[in-house]
Amino acid sequence: MRQRAEMKRREEMKRHGGRMDREIVARYTNQPGKMPAGARAAIEAEWDGAPVQLYALADLDARLRLAETWVALGAECLAVAHRRKIAGHDSRAANAPAEWEVRSVPRSSVRAVSESPGLSGTMLSFLAEPDEPPLATVRYTHRQRRAMENLRFVVEEQLRGRRVEPAEPDETYAESVAAPIREAQALVAGSRVAVIWRLLGYLRPYRREVTIGLAAAGLITLVSLIPPYLAGYLLDDVVRPVRDGTLDLSRGTLAAWVAVGAMALVYVVRQAGALVRLRMLSVLGEWVARDLRTELYEHLQRLSLSFYMRKKTGSIITRVSSDTDRLWEFLAFGVVDVSLSLVMLTGLGIVLVSLDWRLGLVMTAPVPLFCWAIFLHGERIQRLFMRAWRKWSGVTDILSDTIPGMRVVKTFNQEERETRRFDRRNASVTEEYNRIHRMWTTFWPGLMLAVHGTTVAVWAFALPRLLEGPGAEPGLSAGTFVSFLLYTTMFIGSVEIIGQMARTMNRATSSAHRVFEVLDTEPEIVEQPRPVRLEPLAGRVSFDSVTFGYDGVRQVLRGVSFDVEPGEMIGLVGPSGGGKTTVVNLIARFYDTTGGTIRIDGVDIRSLEIGHYRRQMGMVLQDPYLFHGTVVENIRYGHPEADLERVIEAGRAANAHDFICRLPHGYDTVVGERGQTLSGGERQRVSIARAILHDPRILILDEATSAVDTETERKIQEALDRLVAGRTVFAIAHRLSTLHRASRLFVMKDGRLAEAGTHGELLAKQDGIYRRLHEMQLELQGPRQGED
Amino acid sequence: MRSLRLERQIDGQLWARTGDREVRVKVHRCFPWSEPGRFVSLRDAEDEEVALVRDAGELDASSRAALEDALAEAGFVLEVTRIHAVEEEVEIRYWRVETRQGPRSFQTRRDDWPREVSAAGFLIRDVSGDLYYVRDTGALDRESREWLWAYVE
Repeated sequence: MRQRAEMKRREEMKRHGGRMDREIVARYTNQPGKMPAGARAAIEAEWDGAPVQLYALADLDARLRLAETWVALGAECLAVAHRRKIAGHDSRAANAPAEWEVRSVPRSSVRAVSESPGLSGTMLSFLAEPDEPPLATVRYTHRQRRAMENLRFVVEEQLRGRRVEPAEPDETYAESVAAPIREAQALVAGSRVAVIWRLLGYLRPYRREVTIGLAAAGLITLVSLIPPYLAGYLLDDVVRPVRDGTLDLSRGTLAAWVAVGAMALVYVVRQAGALVRLRMLSVLGEWVARDLRTELYEHLQRLSLSFYMRKKTGSIITRVSSDTDRLWEFLAFGVVDVSLSLVMLTGLGIVLVSLDWRLGLVMTAPVPLFCWAIFLHGERIQRLFMRAWRKWSGVTDILSDTIPGMRVVKTFNQEERETRRFDRRNASVTEEYNRIHRMWTTFWPGLMLAVHGTTVAVWAFALPRLLEGPGAEPGLSAGTFVSFLLYTTMFIGSVEIIGQMARTMNRATSSAHRVFEVLDTEPEIVEQPRPVRLEPLAGRVSFDSVTFGYDGVRQVLRGVSFDVEPGEMIGLVGPSGGGKTTVVNLIARFYDTTGGTIRIDGVDIRSLEIGHYRRQMGMVLQDPYLFHGTVVENIRYGHPEADLERVIEAGRAANAHDFICRLPHGYDTVVGERGQTLSGGERQRVSIARAILHDPRILILDEATSAVDTETERKIQEALDRLVAGRTVFAIAHRLSTLHRASRLFVMKDGRLAEAGTHGELLAKQDGIYRRLHEMQLELQGPRQGED
Repeated sequence: MRSLRLERQIDGQLWARTGDREVRVKVHRCFPWSEPGRFVSLRDAEDEEVALVRDAGELDASSRAALEDALAEAGFVLEVTRIHAVEEEVEIRYWRVETRQGPRSFQTRRDDWPREVSAAGFLIRDVSGDLYYVRDTGALDRESREWLWAYVE
């Protein structure tokens, strides 16, 4: 039941992934998202209805022009389908089987596969007997390489007498073509509006604050419209009537004072509104940014290691830091500024036109033009910034190149040349920035001139009518004119914001995209609904025909089976790429197997509670990672509550106590971000102390003693010997001598368990891999003894 | 280099004969961009060097033709003749171009800039590793040059 739910979830994830991959292929590459129905039908007809199991596109023809040739693999045959007419990309014609010319050969006739990789194109030949022409030759660009490699893998496995039955050809193809794009950007840049809506959804918990903030902002906009109106009213209905003698002086004075009071009130209300608005929204934006950061970080902790393999650390860090910060800016100010500017411009437009429609039109008609000009300017300056950014990275490249490499620069006496190189790039980046400065310093005064031009136009239109006096029909009162002039000054700020709206939205949506990309990534390792806790864990580990592949159909582990008893120490040896690290990654459940089962104490690893299981597992890696903090904090990382007695005990057992005591700050010494203040061997011993305190039942040692001198190695080895006692241990080592305590050795090669047994048993094997490795290392050790 | 003879077989593979040794070789330009015509390393299946051709002129005519054919194939890159658009997306730059080989769209990482490989020639590498060569930016049409301007020089 549980298993069925798990399978359903995986299928769902896969379907979703498949859809996404097809979307990526369709959106970003000009090649089909799957094999055209016509080609497939034609191939399957050739095979008497046997289905296509796996396929890839060969996108180059024999003359190295872009073309469409499909290579397909069925249970018995291999087929190559060419399009009969090379007439562009007409997808409808591609659905007719008659459009395709199919050549099929039995898979059993393929004797070898040869690949000639070039800079951008690869030639792959399926060969028959030597001296016979190849059965098929295809050429393709790197974009098709993963799909072709899948196909080639299956064919070559068959040559080795092993059968791989691929399933889901469409998914496999789309995944392999989309993978490089997905690794760079895991989503299709979708609708901007949808992203903004989703972002605004984060405001929901703060409905009250949003309402108050928006109301305050609305109020500010409305009351801003009052002072110019009042000015006009004073002139037309108070000042002039009093001068003309049509209004009593005392009533006029009263009205004037009321107006002054109203003006004062307007400003007080406006600034009070501004205070409420700024405070509410900036605080609110900060809350939303905090919520996003918390959600992101929580999600990052849940994500599987494969995510971290795909993404650069820096890019993940900026998502949590600067992207959420940018979203704060957008939510706190961008949204409100833009919407209010729109309201303001519309409001002003209406007021102006209703005050005097002719002048109103003179003033409002050019506004869209201004917005457009600002938008265009933004776009153009964006290109300049791109150039400046590129040149700037040229400058920082030199810095990050030469400063760490200063010894080399000095040794070769190249200081002057490096200085000249830097000067050139420095000059060129300055030139780019000055180009930007020239552009904006021309644009803004020019734009302002145009704006003032409209004001002048208003004057020019208004003056003759002003002079005609109020009696004449088209006349314009002085008050209306003054209101008008005051209103025009309010235009410009809003025009600026609207003009930059596109850029504001752009910046916010890309930040939101990056944040949501992480949030939308599903952790691949998930716990089952009612996980099992093994308490205490004995440490029996069994692999039952385990297969595993990081991507595509290529398998890193192929049917590995073994049983390890509690307390056994297993040495994993063999050539690199053989699958040693993959075995320990699977034991730690950083990944789930693609096939077969791993059992811990007889229980399927997938049904264990992940956290509880990992607490009983320890790892000592080649490059131990120490967090920024004190030595004691690092040793207590897994058990922050452990008492100091136990910390020192662990330190002693790890041969670390003595050197820690020699540090001026002892166990309270702060170690750098990667433990820089300690040497490699010292860091290793701190990490062993950490593992000892953690007291794991299953322990993984991954190259724990490489890259240190002999004396340190001896100390680490001693510490390790204490650490491994009584636990199930998997130790990966290149230097076989470090495995002298191993109860058994597993030799991994080509994803298989090639040999297993004790040191003596494996040495006894004539032509054994282990025996050969051992002899080679003995030979090497001779002359190098003592210096290693 | 008179003792070296090259020949292309029916299956498109290049074979080298030096003295009494006959072996299938792959060609590898030592300086694919700065000196494409000189210093070609011929390597066998184990990737060991069989011979280093310093200059194709050292070879006899038929060997030279065979070498040039093989080089054209191994040194194949898509050559951009026109740029329709370059769009910036969240993390990738999206190019739509016309190449000598046909129309193509591809993506580069946003911090991956075109690389200058000759006086006016640039090489763009997409996320899959495919290379796009702009032989001479000056020879492109105005619109293409405008698109490219932000990314080169």
